[in-house]
Amino acid sequence: MTSPASAQSDASGDAAQGERSRPGARELLGIAAIAAQLVLVLAVVRLFEIENRTFFDVMALATAGFVVHALLPLSLRLPFFAGLSLATVVVAFGFLDGVALIALGLVLIAIAHLPLGFWPRVALLCATGALYAVWRGGLLPQPWSLTIWPVLASMFMFRIALYMHARLHDAAPTTPLRALAYFFMLPNVCFPLYPVVDYATFFRTYYDRDALRVYETGVRWIVRGVIHLLLYRLVYLHLTLDPDDLRTLGDLVQFILTTFLLYLRVSGQFHIVVGALHLFGFRLPETHYLYYLASSFSDFWRRINIYWKDFMMKLVYYPSFFRMRRFGQSAGLIGATLVVFFVTWLLHSYQWFWLRGGFPIESQDILFWGLLGALVVFGSLREMSKPRKRKLGPAPKWSLSLALRTVGTFTAICVLWSLWSADSVSSWIVMWMVAGNATLGSVLALAGLFTAGVLIAGKDWSIREKYDDQAPPWYRRPAVTSVLPLLALLLLGNTQLYAPRTPQVATLVASLQGSTLNTRDAALQHKGYYEKLDNQSRMSAQLWSIQAQKPAHWVGLSETEAYVSRKDFTLAGLVPGAHIEFLDRPLSVNRWGMRDRDHALEKPPDTYRIAILGPSHVMGSGLADGETFSSYLEQELERSRNGVGPHFEVLNFGIAGCSLMTQLGVLEENALRFRPDLIVVTDSPLLANTVVNHVLSVVGDGYPIPYPDLDALVRETGVFALVDPGPPVPFASVRSALGALGIQTRMPWREARLRLRLVENDLVRWTFSRVAQVAKQHGAVGAFLLLDNVGNPPATPVAGLEDARAAGLVTFDLLDVWQGRDQAALRIAPWDNHPNPQGTRIIAQRLEELMQRHRSELRLEDALVTR
Amino acid sequence: MDASEIKNTVREYIVAEFLPGEDPSAIGDSMEMITQGILDSIATLKLVSFLEDHYRIALAPHEVAPEYLDTLDAISKLVLAKAAKRR
Repeated sequence: MTSPASAQSDASGDAAQGERSRPGARELLGIAAIAAQLVLVLAVVRLFEIENRTFFDVMALATAGFVVHALLPLSLRLPFFAGLSLATVVVAFGFLDGVALIALGLVLIAIAHLPLGFWPRVALLCATGALYAVWRGGLLPQPWSLTIWPVLASMFMFRIALYMHARLHDAAPTTPLRALAYFFMLPNVCFPLYPVVDYATFFRTYYDRDALRVYETGVRWIVRGVIHLLLYRLVYLHLTLDPDDLRTLGDLVQFILTTFLLYLRVSGQFHIVVGALHLFGFRLPETHYLYYLASSFSDFWRRINIYWKDFMMKLVYYPSFFRMRRFGQSAGLIGATLVVFFVTWLLHSYQWFWLRGGFPIESQDILFWGLLGALVVFGSLREMSKPRKRKLGPAPKWSLSLALRTVGTFTAICVLWSLWSADSVSSWIVMWMVAGNATLGSVLALAGLFTAGVLIAGKDWSIREKYDDQAPPWYRRPAVTSVLPLLALLLLGNTQLYAPRTPQVATLVASLQGSTLNTRDAALQHKGYYEKLDNQSRMSAQLWSIQAQKPAHWVGLSETEAYVSRKDFTLAGLVPGAHIEFLDRPLSVNRWGMRDRDHALEKPPDTYRIAILGPSHVMGSGLADGETFSSYLEQELERSRNGVGPHFEVLNFGIAGCSLMTQLGVLEENALRFRPDLIVVTDSPLLANTVVNHVLSVVGDGYPIPYPDLDALVRETGVFALVDPGPPVPFASVRSALGALGIQTRMPWREARLRLRLVENDLVRWTFSRVAQVAKQHGAVGAFLLLDNVGNPPATPVAGLEDARAAGLVTFDLLDVWQGRDQAALRIAPWDNHPNPQGTRIIAQRLEELMQRHRSELRLEDALVTR
Repeated sequence: MDASEIKNTVREYIVAEFLPGEDPSAIGDSMEMITQGILDSIATLKLVSFLEDHYRIALAPHEVAPEYLDTLDAISKLVLAKAAKRR
């Protein structure tokens, strides 16, 4: 039979295309208009810092490349596109890494073309893939950077299968030039998560319609993608919630809804990718199609990540169906669908390995794909027996049935998505504990949300790209779909134009003009959460883009020889006399277990001694010995005394990752021996979180709480059920019921954490009171220093500061210390926000100023008088 | 059996089975039915069964793809090629 490959000539030989190879006046005008729109796109990308710097560079290259490409004769366009694509690899990775990536890719292409049988070539490809996997895992030395692997993988991990499929079935010509264009296609270097573009479709749709219309579609999709990415930022920065912070039904709904809305990032990126390919004549189909408006699970599967669905259909579903249909159509359909979802789950982990380095096999993934697969099977069987109504155009009338089905599907997908995104199945179940906390306001808001959803979802919004001879309606013309939104974004991005009148809108828009972490991710990064839990598969894309830069040796202090895990309430300490290399800097611990020079236990005469306790920014993570802010503070105070009054000695009792409670333990056991005049406990805005984690560890590990009043406070929460024998079962009522049946159970860690979060402020208050009490008993002044790593201060006041004041501690608020400064220049590394020596000097100077301002409270005058 | 006859037969089948009430002439020979979402996976499988039964041909799994079934033009080419092979 005639295969599409043999029927389809190479681009240069097609007569119809040849007619369009030399642009006339209309084309020239059209190309100029498209180029102008692309310049507007570039301005928006720059103004809002969309994605990263590489993306801007590649888009700039694509814009210039588009003009040259469109003006070239058709026969030269594909070679030019391939060359431009290869150039972007070098632009993005630099010469050495770029060439390495291309060479590693060429090896795979060469294997695909070896004069061997099909299966021997597949075996060779698998063997080469296994070798690459060893390199990806960092198990073999390699002369190139590890960062090339996610992009190389995204170019080949699925597309090589489609390429081989095309070669096997002669679905499209496979020449070296086409292979270069296909595998290294232009925007891929910016997007490791990339749509699985089908080889046959890639070339079947190449300049098969009016070029100008194709280019216009490309710009429209790029603009749509940019809008998706900005909406994603809005959701990510301002609407998402930490599952630990859920308190009411409203919080729960917001959390579930926004978790699904975060998918806008993927659809935004894919729109940009496919839009960019349109600019070079590849009239590819849409990757996503109004997926929030799916009216059934099968419909959802067809609308979201369409390229993945098509990839699965081609390589898994149809071959499986053809094998199984002898058992009947329904059996074939059920079997093939289940195989598809099983393979999707497996390949999801495979993809994760190449992109992030781990191979997650997690229960929530299995549940998500299993449930979605079952729901799609159910929907497909229903459609087999009762075909869905199709229309060639959108249905003119609003339909309640469509509205309810769409809202129902959306709600169910949101719930499923929240399960998929959860840290664990138990944390997801525990999350629902707050569903009973409904206020009238939240119920009304939910009703409003539902009504709005029904009103929107009842209308058929179907709009597909059309390439017929009719002029598009006014609302689909480039001026409306591309130019207007771009101009509006440019106007919106210049916040100084309207900031005096609407400062809130200006602040909101300004927050979207950059790729920053939201509160939750900033907190996770701060505490090295993922280093401890290895939960990289649940890490947000935003956080991952930063964490991926971190070298392998960049570990937490707890993984080093300088750290000791204690088996008591204090939990942590430093090993006396340890000398290690930590985060590329020497770290020495003195004989007293302090990250400091040696100090005599006895306080020298005429000396005002300050004991500073705190986490990593006090200990000095990523700083050499002597570069901590406590060292600089001592120098500043010595300088400011001007030869008059007492000397100053600042003792550093910092331990990375320690909570206020660890600080209390270190204070009572160690610091008090040095008879300090001033005791400073330090923490970040996340102080309540670390205190909760501390209590959880103490209870979970079965260490006694040496303070009766604190012990009573913790007991009231019931979290000692965490150490009961038996498997973890959420909800006290369920545990009681099982207990009545003689089945032993314990409280899950997540539930215990939630219960402690409800009393976190009481725990913090207790700790401050105890610090103040101890300081007073030992004749010292107690103080609390609120200090964060380099970054902007939180939008809301930190409750702990007022609690510290109420407990009688002097407070130093240094949260604004980084504001208005070049923050990137003050961090120890792009992936680590700890302050560098320049940053710690700034802290020391600010703290010294504040101490001078509080001289009387700190009894500095007393010290002067008595000494 | 020629291309135009095949296109008309398939067009009528598609309208009767999947687009009741639509005007058959609205489906042009080059209209992309799979790409445009008119034929989803289930409809495509039904169309495959129809082609196999009606024209006594057998399709391979890789032929259930837009390259072969997206348009009436492509379908007619496929059927003619398969029929010719059978002869």
